[in-house]
Amino acid sequence: MAMRELVTGGAACAVPGSSSSSNPLGALANALIGSSSKTQERLKEIPTSATTISDGNFYAGTDEQLNMLPGSEFDHPLQSNGQGAEFFRGFRSADQGRLADVWDEIHSPQLPHAQGRDSLTNLPVMDHTVRVNMPLRPDFDGPPQRVLSSFLHSFVNSNRGGIPFHPTPLPVLGLSEGDKQCIRDRSSIMARHFFADKNEDFINAQVNALLSSLDIDSDIQERGPQPGRFRELEGYWNESQGMLKPGPHAADGWVDEYAQHRIQHGDPNAWAHSFELQHGANGWASEFEHEQSQIASVNQIGGSNIANLAAMEQTRMLAHTLAQNNDPKFQNSKFLQFVSKMSRGEIIIEDNQMKPAVVSARGDWAAEYQQQYDGGHTWADQFMHEKLSRGPDGWANEFAAEREQHGSVDQWANEFSKLQVQDWAEEFGNQVGKGALGENSADNWANTYDDFLNEQVAAKQRSDTSRGIYEFSDVNPYVGHPNPLKEGQELFRKGLLSEAVLALEAEVLKNPENAEGWRLLGIAHAENDDDQQAIAAMMRAQEVDPTNLEVLLALGVSHTNELEQAAALKYLYSWLRHHSKYGTLAPPEMSDSLYYADVARLFNDAAQMSPEDADIHIVLGVLYNLSREYDKAIASFKTALKLKPRDYSLWNKLGATQANSVQSADAIEAYQQALDLKPNYVRAWANMGISYANQGMYEDSIRYYVRALAMNPKADNAWQYLRISLSCASRNDMMEACDSRNLDVLQKEFPL
Amino acid sequence: MPVFKTPFNGYAVKFSPFYEHRLAVATAQNFGILGNGRVHVLDLSPAGPISEFAAFDTADAVYDLSWSESHDSLLVAAVADGSVKLYDLSLPPPSNPVRSLHEHTREAHSADYNPVRRDSFITGSWDDTIKLWTIDRPTSVRTFKEHAYCVYSAAWNPSHADVFASASGDCTVRIWDVREPGSTMILPAHEFEILSCDWNKYDDCVIATASVDKSIKVWDVRSFRVPVAVLNGHSYAVRKVKFSPHRSSLIASCSYDMTVCLWDYMVEDALIGRYDHHTEFAVGVDMSVLVEGLLASTGWDELVYVWQHGTDPRAP
Repeated sequence: MAMRELVTGGAACAVPGSSSSSNPLGALANALIGSSSKTQERLKEIPTSATTISDGNFYAGTDEQLNMLPGSEFDHPLQSNGQGAEFFRGFRSADQGRLADVWDEIHSPQLPHAQGRDSLTNLPVMDHTVRVNMPLRPDFDGPPQRVLSSFLHSFVNSNRGGIPFHPTPLPVLGLSEGDKQCIRDRSSIMARHFFADKNEDFINAQVNALLSSLDIDSDIQERGPQPGRFRELEGYWNESQGMLKPGPHAADGWVDEYAQHRIQHGDPNAWAHSFELQHGANGWASEFEHEQSQIASVNQIGGSNIANLAAMEQTRMLAHTLAQNNDPKFQNSKFLQFVSKMSRGEIIIEDNQMKPAVVSARGDWAAEYQQQYDGGHTWADQFMHEKLSRGPDGWANEFAAEREQHGSVDQWANEFSKLQVQDWAEEFGNQVGKGALGENSADNWANTYDDFLNEQVAAKQRSDTSRGIYEFSDVNPYVGHPNPLKEGQELFRKGLLSEAVLALEAEVLKNPENAEGWRLLGIAHAENDDDQQAIAAMMRAQEVDPTNLEVLLALGVSHTNELEQAAALKYLYSWLRHHSKYGTLAPPEMSDSLYYADVARLFNDAAQMSPEDADIHIVLGVLYNLSREYDKAIASFKTALKLKPRDYSLWNKLGATQANSVQSADAIEAYQQALDLKPNYVRAWANMGISYANQGMYEDSIRYYVRALAMNPKADNAWQYLRISLSCASRNDMMEACDSRNLDVLQKEFPL
Repeated sequence: MPVFKTPFNGYAVKFSPFYEHRLAVATAQNFGILGNGRVHVLDLSPAGPISEFAAFDTADAVYDLSWSESHDSLLVAAVADGSVKLYDLSLPPPSNPVRSLHEHTREAHSADYNPVRRDSFITGSWDDTIKLWTIDRPTSVRTFKEHAYCVYSAAWNPSHADVFASASGDCTVRIWDVREPGSTMILPAHEFEILSCDWNKYDDCVIATASVDKSIKVWDVRSFRVPVAVLNGHSYAVRKVKFSPHRSSLIASCSYDMTVCLWDYMVEDALIGRYDHHTEFAVGVDMSVLVEGLLASTGWDELVYVWQHGTDPRAP
């Protein structure tokens, strides 16, 4: 439009040879439209513009006093203005000697803002447990990243002249899903700013050109949530919350800080702080807002959709269980997204056919509900957390104490909370009055919500108690065996893991103090794809033998699989600490507060110390998995494999990491190596299935799952994966065999 | 006038309200599309080059920052991973950030410290919300959710401690009073996305908005049907707009057309200065509160310029 005309117009009356622009865009524009340099364009556009202001002192009154400033809000600038003007005059005059003088004056010991300095001491003593140290991303500095950088550069610059963006083919950059989502979201938002003159089609074409050459799906909902990255954040957040919970910090950290701050500071803080009901009032208010905006359109909550609600509730539980189960590959699984979509009502099941819901997906009530569910730290949840961890009266006491210290009156805040509450109540009343929200449905909603909360509490308790307690099998033929440990070792060596588990259980029932028995039991479970039991067994092993390196490493790995960063760091760190060679690297005082970056640094030091130690590289690989730096993790595992080429579990680790960084094809090769070394490696068979499923080869994935299940029918995860693949491959006919766990039928149908 | 080269692409620059010679710069790798971020704190010296006083790395782009109005060493950064981070320059780098507040679910795009009630600040995010924070709380005090698209900037009113404005991609500016449950005014200021807004420091009813439509508009919120002024001259989306702390009618702006412009919206020929020293998008501009006429700008050419109005930023 206008701008285009201007550009062409500019070209028409350009003074030849005047294109002095040094920027690539200018050059680009020149190449495209003739010699319309940046300056030319501008002169044309702005008839009044004096491109340069020759008069240096454009406001004559630089030295004019600034105390004309209204109000007191800028009192600090006022104080030093004299100096400022001086400083400036100094700058303007080229007189070096005077400049220096002026400078000295400015820097003279008397500080410009006594008030600023003083207040430093008032700054609440920041509690370092609150701080969250996010690991930096891998430096995008390697050759491929430089390619990425200049690539993005050409995209960004393609706005001038409106040339379509013709990307060149790129090498594989190893971008993670999160990175891709990031590029997709941000480039689409930014493109709308760069290409403001172009129509929507052009913008989409540019963005799609960028995305497709980076191998990014463009059809995923733009501006959607950032699943990978957000979850990661959430992890860190939970962790930091977790750190707050125990210890004395919770009780006196913030509150004390605040009290101190308050006493010295006096009034101005109070206003915000006395949003005492923040959690309540604010949470509810925003909740209500959502509610309000959505209820009008999604009025079916109360009545028509009750059946769907029940179904949703079930899927929600499933989604929740799966989310709890937290295998990293699982987190990325299309299935999980599918399930959570379904639980949010975005997909409805009708006559066993999946249909996208008609209701606008993101907005509805269930979605809101589900997000909270997934989020795990909504106000309600958080409140529960805090309650549980601090005991019932923690909050209340804290608050009361705080109030006492502060004195009770703060007009502003009180007014505010009143306002809020009243308004809220009023609005709610209105809603009810208008009939947008029938009384029944309101009740229903409340009831459902209560039920949901109760369930959540119950689920939490269940999972808390079951955590870390080893569950023995009911019937065990090896009880009474003369030497179950030897038998177990033998079975394990043969790869009969389920049998080995029984024998080893018999051993540890007989000798609960046998660390080796527990350790083997843990490894058997880990190889059988059961990290919960593996952790439980390994924890018993660690109780008996707290310094066993293999046990510590295994615990670190299992917790990594479960995405429990804090626990994983703890064990990996103690591995280092108890290592005869590297123990000196680890300062004992660090064990209280472990940050990812610190631990990673220690292990890097260790790797430098002895690059020939495969174990160190394995731990590093695990650590990089924790921080999702999959490229580095892959490199570490590959280094370790050069030193230990026959370690089948290491091949499996490499494969899992490659799968996580969306290199499923490579992953399959790694798993194959593991299986060549150990044909009865259930975990690798199942992982193989996952990689095939990730590539959309569902029939193949089914065969691998079935093989894994034939070896260990108790692998619940694998049964779930199988079910998903069956449904994706449209093999509903085999669903019943899957649900009844009829392996004979499945093996016949899906031979490998 | 001094220049500083940042390793990443510049995103925002802010003068310290406490020291004439200090400024902070927000930067991001790969134009903020992917990669790390870094906050630089820079010190000017009259003769020599700009020196770096401190730098803090982040795991994602830093889109904006704001100096505390109460502590000379405190600054708050808006990070693309949605987090809001507080840095205390008086502490060593390992102890920083002193806070990392994760509530925004999308990129945090702006931060503004309350100049009157100096313990609080607001952040605007691509999750369509603005959040109100105080430095003594681990969670936000309030979330303002009404915009239908990304919030690109939010700015406190300089004289009313409870009032701020927010600019959004939904083509509206909203005026909020934190004592009220909802926004108190909706200003459909442009036909295109609005990227920035700022209040006149001398007239608490006047606000400027900058848009993808290449224009800057000045509004009186008491009669918002017609803008007080429309400032045309940028040839691409206007990225930031900022009222002078010293002159009531003086406005600075920067744009994707790679220039920084100065305007006097009260006079007929409003464009009173144009600087084209940047060779890539100019995305950050600030005017010193302590030194009249001192300007700073940063852009995707990874350069930070500090210069006196009327001089050539590139002059050695």
